[in-house]
Amino acid sequence: MSAATTAPRAVGASSTARRPTPARVLASEWTKVVSLRSPWWTAAVTVVVGGVITYLSAQASSGDPGFQPIDSLSSGLMLAQLGPLVLGVLVGGGDFRTGAFRSTYTTVPRRWPVLVAQSLAVAGFALGIAVLTTAACVVGILPAAASRDLPVDLTADDAPALVLGMVLFLVGLALLGHALGALLRRTVPALVTALSLVMILPIVLMMASDPLVAGGDPASLAAPAQGTAPTVVGTVNVLLPGTAGGLLTTSASSGPMDGSPDLGPVGGGLVLAAWIAVLLVAAAVRLRTRDVR
Amino acid sequence: MIEVEALTKRYGSTTAVDGLTFTARPGTVTGFLGPNGAGKSTTMRVVVGLERATSGRATVDGRRFADLPAPLHAVGIMLDARSVHPGRTAYAHLLAMAQTHGIGKARVREVLAQTGLESAARRRAGTFSLGMGQRLGIAGALLGDPATLILDEPVNGLDPDGVLWVRRLVRELAAEGRTVLLSSHLMHELALCADRVVIIGRGRLLADAPVQEIVDRTGSGSLEEAYLQLTSDAVEYRTDATAGGGR
Repeated sequence: MSAATTAPRAVGASSTARRPTPARVLASEWTKVVSLRSPWWTAAVTVVVGGVITYLSAQASSGDPGFQPIDSLSSGLMLAQLGPLVLGVLVGGGDFRTGAFRSTYTTVPRRWPVLVAQSLAVAGFALGIAVLTTAACVVGILPAAASRDLPVDLTADDAPALVLGMVLFLVGLALLGHALGALLRRTVPALVTALSLVMILPIVLMMASDPLVAGGDPASLAAPAQGTAPTVVGTVNVLLPGTAGGLLTTSASSGPMDGSPDLGPVGGGLVLAAWIAVLLVAAAVRLRTRDVR
Repeated sequence: MIEVEALTKRYGSTTAVDGLTFTARPGTVTGFLGPNGAGKSTTMRVVVGLERATSGRATVDGRRFADLPAPLHAVGIMLDARSVHPGRTAYAHLLAMAQTHGIGKARVREVLAQTGLESAARRRAGTFSLGMGQRLGIAGALLGDPATLILDEPVNGLDPDGVLWVRRLVRELAAEGRTVLLSSHLMHELALCADRVVIIGRGRLLADAPVQEIVDRTGSGSLEEAYLQLTSDAVEYRTDATAGGGR
């Protein structure tokens, strides 16, 4: 068994300095993201959809008497939010879907640095998408604003916070998708879960919380109570990642949704961040304690 | 050097590897043989840390794989041709691996040239034939200039040219003092390039000895005959060399 010491080792280049470091793993994960086509397609579709829907929505609202162009700014995100979500799922689950995880986790067998680096790479790419999409949304409201000779001032009132919130919302959804993809390790179940959490459940809960669905008296709607007390369904809804994150795209002064506690943009953002953190930790625990197969 | 000691891996009630012990030594090509489902790939996955042993241990250069400071330089691994994202180019795949260890682009181009993939470097791996996928896998294994190589069915899908190339490559790597563990179904191929073979069946060790010794001991004319004889037998078989050296 002493062969190891007597055999010539032809390994010259392997200095001890050449080992995985957080920065190197991040560079690797960044290469992995940008070397695929799907992130670029997702980015292009997200920017275009965000801009076009915002344009259409602003045009449609421009006839209203109290039209404020800035109020339409985030309307395109209703649909564009799916882009970063899908991007995250594809990156988080892609390694496992394709078998590339064998290369990934034999190269960095401690595993969790990969998860962190992947999350950062997704956040970085999504930040680019988010900035461009938000810019497209701004461009989208300009024709409507011009048609009414209304100024668009992104430095006034709630506007800076709104623009920042839109960017953070889109980045947050990418991170949510990534955490789900990494946790579930399969793209289709992760995508279904992500869409359920972000789009389907909020709609279902919103319908369920409608007083008429609950058997309420239609006549009571004639005089809607201002600042309705939070309901269970409304509270659950606002604690869902998509609904909470969506608060980032509203103004602090806009008040709570019907039947929900008033979290405000910051509170909503924190709820979304908590979802991401919990799912990412769960993914890390699974990665650390389970076989990768 | 790869040391597998009393390794057991269970999936629920199924035992894939059952108390397996063997050593792959430096300067040697160790052939790893066994019928489908014998536990070869499972053993390899446990050695490289993708899966955890139920009991026993597997080490490379005396360390658990996950504890190796620079895994890419310690062990070159080709487990499955489907270890690449089909949407990524060969170059990007290797670059992403190289970057984790701070290995430069020049080395990536070097292994692409060495494996004959230069002209396909910018093609997406999903468009590769099985043979090209194998070459890409081998390129990844060579990337870190590792002291140990673990190759699962490396000649699978290669053309005769490629088979000859792999045979020469593994002989060269072993001659340079590296440890090479190579699994294959092709007896003839293994008889030509392996110094020693480890044969397993149903997760258990059937034989661990130099090729010629296994042929002689079983009284068969070739490694193939010896293999068929050994694996048809439910009884665990060990040569004296194993009994003396392994324990």
